[in-house]
Amino acid sequence: MLAGFLSLLGEFLITVGLVLGLFVAYSLWWTNVLADRQASARGDEIRRQWQSAPGANGAPGPGALDTQDGIGFLHVPAMENGEVLVKKGTAPDVLDDGVAGYYTDPVKAALPWEASGNFALAAHRDGHGAKFHAIDKVKNGDAVVFETRDTWYVYKVFAELRQTSKYNVDVISAVPKESGRTAPGRFITLTTCTPVYTSKFRYIVWGELVRTEKVDAQRTPPAELR
Amino acid sequence: MYGWIWRHLPGSAWIRALISLVLVLGVVFVLFQYVFPWAEPLLPFNDVTVDEGSGATP
Repeated sequence: MLAGFLSLLGEFLITVGLVLGLFVAYSLWWTNVLADRQASARGDEIRRQWQSAPGANGAPGPGALDTQDGIGFLHVPAMENGEVLVKKGTAPDVLDDGVAGYYTDPVKAALPWEASGNFALAAHRDGHGAKFHAIDKVKNGDAVVFETRDTWYVYKVFAELRQTSKYNVDVISAVPKESGRTAPGRFITLTTCTPVYTSKFRYIVWGELVRTEKVDAQRTPPAELR
Repeated sequence: MYGWIWRHLPGSAWIRALISLVLVLGVVFVLFQYVFPWAEPLLPFNDVTVDEGSGATP
């Protein structure tokens, strides 16, 4: 009787262990497979749209863009992860597709072509594409480039906050005080979770716009990406 | 539990092993397709945004 119960308990515990192991594989591997597949399909779609709808000189206004599909691509050479599609919103169903999302809540992010403000982005540290996995490799002075149909926005990283509370919404405000800046400017903020594999704190990287470059016919990337 | 399943599968040992494999793959499929996607948002491993509320967001 007791032996039967114990062997059942043992089998149950082994099963729980296997399921937890599978969950780790799911979170850290399978969600990446799905998200990367999604993101690259969406990204290709956007590049096709950009090609088929040429013209429209100058920076695109928000109205000229279909923000549903994504507004452009983020390139962070220090993270060595290629291009990251940027979409509107930071809800799980947006970010889980392997993209970076710009905040609409609790603070509405400014888009890069606006005269001043903070282009605040979030993306996953692990799983679902893990687009900001290597955020700790980004150092002051590194380039962060945002690519739209017509313009390269070249930012330079000037401050980071390696650990902060998840309720610290000031980091994505138009003038993020903790970065050391006090006057309005054209900022970019990358947010993700830290330490890796957990969501205890948030990791913040700030950059500011140094210049913009017009996209040419060959889409020659700016010097920072070459 | 596993012994009980093994004893109740039909056929020779090879057939039973084959059916077991199919059952295992079926369980893994259900876990990856339905159970884990449901469970993941409920677990505190993947919140990446800053927010004001008490954690109801990403």
